[in-house]
Amino acid sequence: MQLVSVEEQRQIEALLYKEARLADESRYAEWEELVDDDMYYWVPVGGLEVDTPQAISVIADNRKRLSSRVAQLKTGMRHAQLPASPLCRVLSNIEIEKLPEPSQAGAREYAVRANSILYEMRIQSTQTLEVWPARVEYKVRADAAGAWKLFFKKVMLVNGSEPLSTLGFLI
Amino acid sequence: MSAFPDVTGLSLSGAGAVLNYNGLVQPDRVHASLYTSDAVYREELEQIFYKGWVYVGHESEIPAPGDFVRRNIGEEPVVLLRDRKGALQVLKNRCAHRGNLIVTKERGNTKNFACVYHGWVFNLNGQLLDVPYPNGFTRDRKDYGLEVLPLVESYRGFVFASFNPDAGSLDAHLGNGKQVLDRTVEMSPVGKVKLTAGWVKHKFYANWKMLPENDTDGYHVNFVHASFAKVLRSHYDESLLQSEDDMKSETIDWGNGHTELNLAPTYTKEMEWLGYPDASRFPAYVAALEEAHGHERAHEVLRAGPPHTVIFPNLFIAEMNVVMFEPRGPNECVQLHTPLLLEGVSDALNERILRQSEAAMGPSGFLLADDGIISERQQIALKAGRSWLDVSRGDARERTTEQGATIGHVTDETTNRGFWRHYKKVMTR
Repeated sequence: MQLVSVEEQRQIEALLYKEARLADESRYAEWEELVDDDMYYWVPVGGLEVDTPQAISVIADNRKRLSSRVAQLKTGMRHAQLPASPLCRVLSNIEIEKLPEPSQAGAREYAVRANSILYEMRIQSTQTLEVWPARVEYKVRADAAGAWKLFFKKVMLVNGSEPLSTLGFLI
Repeated sequence: MSAFPDVTGLSLSGAGAVLNYNGLVQPDRVHASLYTSDAVYREELEQIFYKGWVYVGHESEIPAPGDFVRRNIGEEPVVLLRDRKGALQVLKNRCAHRGNLIVTKERGNTKNFACVYHGWVFNLNGQLLDVPYPNGFTRDRKDYGLEVLPLVESYRGFVFASFNPDAGSLDAHLGNGKQVLDRTVEMSPVGKVKLTAGWVKHKFYANWKMLPENDTDGYHVNFVHASFAKVLRSHYDESLLQSEDDMKSETIDWGNGHTELNLAPTYTKEMEWLGYPDASRFPAYVAALEEAHGHERAHEVLRAGPPHTVIFPNLFIAEMNVVMFEPRGPNECVQLHTPLLLEGVSDALNERILRQSEAAMGPSGFLLADDGIISERQQIALKAGRSWLDVSRGDARERTTEQGATIGHVTDETTNRGFWRHYKKVMTR
């Protein structure tokens, strides 16, 4: 495991906190600007013997499908998020590892682990509070010009294999 | 039991069910209390889930002797398994001694079932094999087996069961539903499907009956799924999003509570149902279907696609998905889905089916997330249990076929009426 500098750590944490805030505030277009063209956005069921691509996931979006997901949220007709749920997530236990072989020339890439606890107020239907605890894996990169983006986010819900209530927001 | 006010003519009937379902379920409207009442819910468990046939699983989930999956029938935890001889068996998942849940894993393979509470051991047929410190237990072990469901039967790999030895034949229960399952397995060139990709479980804070009702409702698509239609091209564009006179799809009441949204009349191109303009991407699939079904039938299958049909009370063949409904009290239910993977086709085709399943279904699905919220809003609005829901749409323009099916316009409530007609019958049996 390659250690990262304090400066790298600060920049990566700033990226993740910004991503969390934009998702919390349902600012879909700005959130999408933080993800790269090879983004994979994944919420597995968990607890299965088989892994993708043979297993069903709650969400397994390549970049194209993620664009559709964001576009659907932006139509103003996505009832599952009309109105958008007030959200508040806390990221903690952040661990960062530099990836030895970046997939893009000139880029620096990092794998990040974190814990996330997200509170959702379901104002569009039951008006009840839902809690979404998860361990999260990210992959992020700084391109040659030093701009930061995410290209992988895997949200491993603690209760992913149990019945989940409607999850229409960006988790 | 006088939980509801006025109008419904609720009274103690004395025999069988307690509530007056003839008053609550009328040909053109149904009462809100059917979705909200705890008393109704308790009677549904007895009359529908414990007295009738229910879907319990698929043979592909338990291919080898000793394979098992945990399931719920109504609120009863059960285990569907294949015994040493390869026969299908459904056991109650409850130790005959002190009621402990015996199987805690979702699925697995085992030689026998051991209860960890006091060490009792049962074989795959539920017979009690071993009682630790046997001197203190002098009863006949034959009387202390795991409860075995008396009826378990498979049709084309789909396994149904009943707690009630007098539930009648599966053949009679399925009725016209058999050809639905025939059409389902016909999508595979070897006549077999495999439910091996796992399940996503979507919780609705709504009554379980909203699932079968909404799943074959063609009227809501234009409205609830407007955002989906706006961002993604799909086969629903032609089949459900036209003007009223141009829509060629149908609602079908097959009888016995089995209902279908028949999208096939709209399709002009092959594999439109999987989002393709034609079948050219899958030449091996086309060739295999031609080999299996003959040229004409193969190309009809490729055009018409899979059924979109609810088999009463808890199975939904959702095109290339298999869906199960689980009731969890009057105000909560779970819809579970898995992709309908085909035997005898390429991995690429099955992966497409799986990815389509993820797009449409479940808590984050482009379709089902919106359905879930609408159902929950209905449940909130119906909470007081003092109103009626209209199911009259199209009752003057539906037609009946020789097989006893009733067919309506795709936006008509022929399917709701079919569901409720059968519901009333089983609730008063």
